[in-house]
Amino acid sequence: MKNPMGTMPFLENLASEAGLVARSLGDYLRGGALRLGVTGLSRSGKTVFVTSLVNNLLTQARLPVLAVAAEGRLVRAQLDPQPDDAVPRFPYEEHLAALSGPDRHWPQSTRRISQLRLRIEYARAAGWNPGPARLDLDIVDYPGEWLLDLTLLDKSYGRWSSETILASRAPARAPLAGAWLAHLDGLAPQGKFDEDVARAAATLFTEYLRAARGDAYALSTLPPGRFLMPGDLEGSPALTFAPLPVEENVEPAPGSLAAMMQRRYESYKTHVVKPFFRDHFSRLDRQIVLVDALGALNSGPAALRDLENALTDVMRAFRAGRASTLGSIFRPRVDRILFAATKADHLHHASHDRLEAVLRTLAGKALARAKGVGAEIDVIALAAVRATREATIRHGGDELPAIIGAPEQGERIGDQVFDGVAEAAVFPGELPDDPERLFEGDALALPEADNDLRFVRFRPPIWRKGEAPPHIRLDRALQFLIGDRLA
Amino acid sequence: MSDYRPRPRAFRLDDSGVAYDDRPTAQAPRAEVRSETAPIPDHAPEPLDEGEREIEAAQASGMARRWRPTLATLIWTGLGGLVSLGIGLWVDDLIVALWAKAQGFGWLALVFAALLVAGVLGLGFREFFALMRQRRIAQLHADLAQAHARDDRDLARAAVARLMALYSARPEAARALAEVSRARGEIIDGRDLVEIAERALVKPLDARARAEVAAAAKRVSLVTALSPRAVLDVVFVAAQVIRLTRRIAEIYGGRPGLLGFIKLARSISAHLVITGGMAVGDSVLQGLVGHGIAAKLSSRMGEGVLNGLLTARVGVSAMAVCRPAPFHAVKAPGVNDVAPFLFGGGKA
Repeated sequence: MKNPMGTMPFLENLASEAGLVARSLGDYLRGGALRLGVTGLSRSGKTVFVTSLVNNLLTQARLPVLAVAAEGRLVRAQLDPQPDDAVPRFPYEEHLAALSGPDRHWPQSTRRISQLRLRIEYARAAGWNPGPARLDLDIVDYPGEWLLDLTLLDKSYGRWSSETILASRAPARAPLAGAWLAHLDGLAPQGKFDEDVARAAATLFTEYLRAARGDAYALSTLPPGRFLMPGDLEGSPALTFAPLPVEENVEPAPGSLAAMMQRRYESYKTHVVKPFFRDHFSRLDRQIVLVDALGALNSGPAALRDLENALTDVMRAFRAGRASTLGSIFRPRVDRILFAATKADHLHHASHDRLEAVLRTLAGKALARAKGVGAEIDVIALAAVRATREATIRHGGDELPAIIGAPEQGERIGDQVFDGVAEAAVFPGELPDDPERLFEGDALALPEADNDLRFVRFRPPIWRKGEAPPHIRLDRALQFLIGDRLA
Repeated sequence: MSDYRPRPRAFRLDDSGVAYDDRPTAQAPRAEVRSETAPIPDHAPEPLDEGEREIEAAQASGMARRWRPTLATLIWTGLGGLVSLGIGLWVDDLIVALWAKAQGFGWLALVFAALLVAGVLGLGFREFFALMRQRRIAQLHADLAQAHARDDRDLARAAVARLMALYSARPEAARALAEVSRARGEIIDGRDLVEIAERALVKPLDARARAEVAAAAKRVSLVTALSPRAVLDVVFVAAQVIRLTRRIAEIYGGRPGLLGFIKLARSISAHLVITGGMAVGDSVLQGLVGHGIAAKLSSRMGEGVLNGLLTARVGVSAMAVCRPAPFHAVKAPGVNDVAPFLFGGGKA
């Protein structure tokens, strides 16, 4: 793309660079602050993770792998007002109430960015001045879909349109995109702009995206991310556009539908994508990427591959800025990234290694890319809130490692439908030794009878008031993410 | 049916056809559910074992210690600077005075001064490189231990390459080097690779180091038993211990100069202090028993055995601290391994 005005972006960059420098200087002077980014595609368990993490630290739960807690150096943790007044606060109390209230249920999902500051007082054991110290941990929770938008930044409208349309005609997605594609065929891109037509196209397009994200399909790679989570931008022109079959590299006629769509696509990039990367993403120090591999496993190999692509795109965001033109917009400084397969409590712990292997394969391309990132990367299987306990089932000559919990209302395995009250012992199937085998085939939204795996959702566990919820390896995740700063 | 994978299934616990733990069931149950209470194991990297942590702590307090200015440093720096300036002034005066007497002597003095400067510089460089080398060995030790604990293949490869580089100039290691470099190219787990390298490259050195320790312990116990004066054997033991630690460091690839030796001595004494308690538990206690028997025969002989034991103990610590690879494939030797003759066992 040619840029007619060479100096403007330069000045813009200079200004944003200066802002960044000023801000990081401020962070530095305040001292002892660490920004932890929590992200993941929707329904990967971000909210539960943050709630459980905060609750575990606030209640001084037993965290044997977190060195600072195990060595008895953790004095206390408390919530402090966050430094960024313009960012919504993470409603920790509400989410905790949802989890532990009388009708315990999983909290509302992340729809926008939110932030929480946790002040951790501890005794420093290493370094120049051992003794009392404190760490201000800023937890930033944002939808992983937003990271996928990064790929849009260096794509023109024409290119994005053709790619999106092509993807929607693929066998996996075609049935979902039917209505929108039919509407698209009736459009004249070079015709006169009409707001109603634009809105109809955007609505149908959004519906297609939402359907693909649905439970049965569990597809993931779907920029633009803000369409699914519009937040306060809902209905604004920057979110009212859709791909059109236009030629790449051909300027649309002024006043045409295509011209308007292109304009809105560009302003989506300017007003939505760039500010997020500039104001939030580039300031993170540590990052955890939560991945719900079980949802994709329920759906089938095509969903798994889709998730793999999404993770690769997510990783691109961490790489960008080190060796690309995007470096002028933001420069990530994340130095530790943890990929976590959540909901490990839906499996017997004997299979956790295999779940980690699945995640390692899923994130394989992403991890290979990470070589140049300069960040330390690890992979674990965890459950921020452990909803089940373990058991063995003996049935029909099989001895099966199983879990016991209360499946949510309406969940089913075989002919067994659950009412949300009764507890059940569930054997979800066996993950294969070689994770590659899960990627064989093109199946999507597999009917239950054809899938060797079936993960049901469980209700949150009941735990004693004033104590932290049970978890699996949350302490290990914490040790990796913030342990070195609490040495 | 080798590919049999059991189908997912679920059983409600309130189902009367399901036996759940000890709950009584009416008829023959369809399925049995037995709950498990074992905690979920954590897959955190296997922590380093205690001996290894002790060695690393000892190395960190000497060989791999980071330089930090302390009050003592200020004093010594100031004093050293003043003394050097004084010497400089004296040399200058001397040369000027000689020049005034006869030009030939002036030139001669200048040449000597140049030799002095060159010698001091050379010594300084040598000390510096020796220190660096020691620190590198300590770092290598830590990395190999990490690679072994985490079974990390990439780290193991990199660390083993550094271990090979350390011994690349030794002709007697040629065969072992070839063997290790072949193993490095094959698909071998990190843990196994570290052990292969240790066995091939470091184990032969262990034998030499142990022989040195045994010889020194023998000499010390013999001389102590025979020496006419207590002062003499103190001097002799000190000289032997210094010689022994230097030899061990050289065998494992270090070249301690003066500063390097001081740091090494610190590490060894730290290791002695840290492991002291354990030693009472096993070897030294036995040693004391042995000492008791020897002392019954003759007090000089008892002292000889005790001094020999101490020497062997220092030697074992020196081996642990100087060794570029942690003890995995080879068991860490104790005092009674290197100097069994002190315990009245078979001759080594």
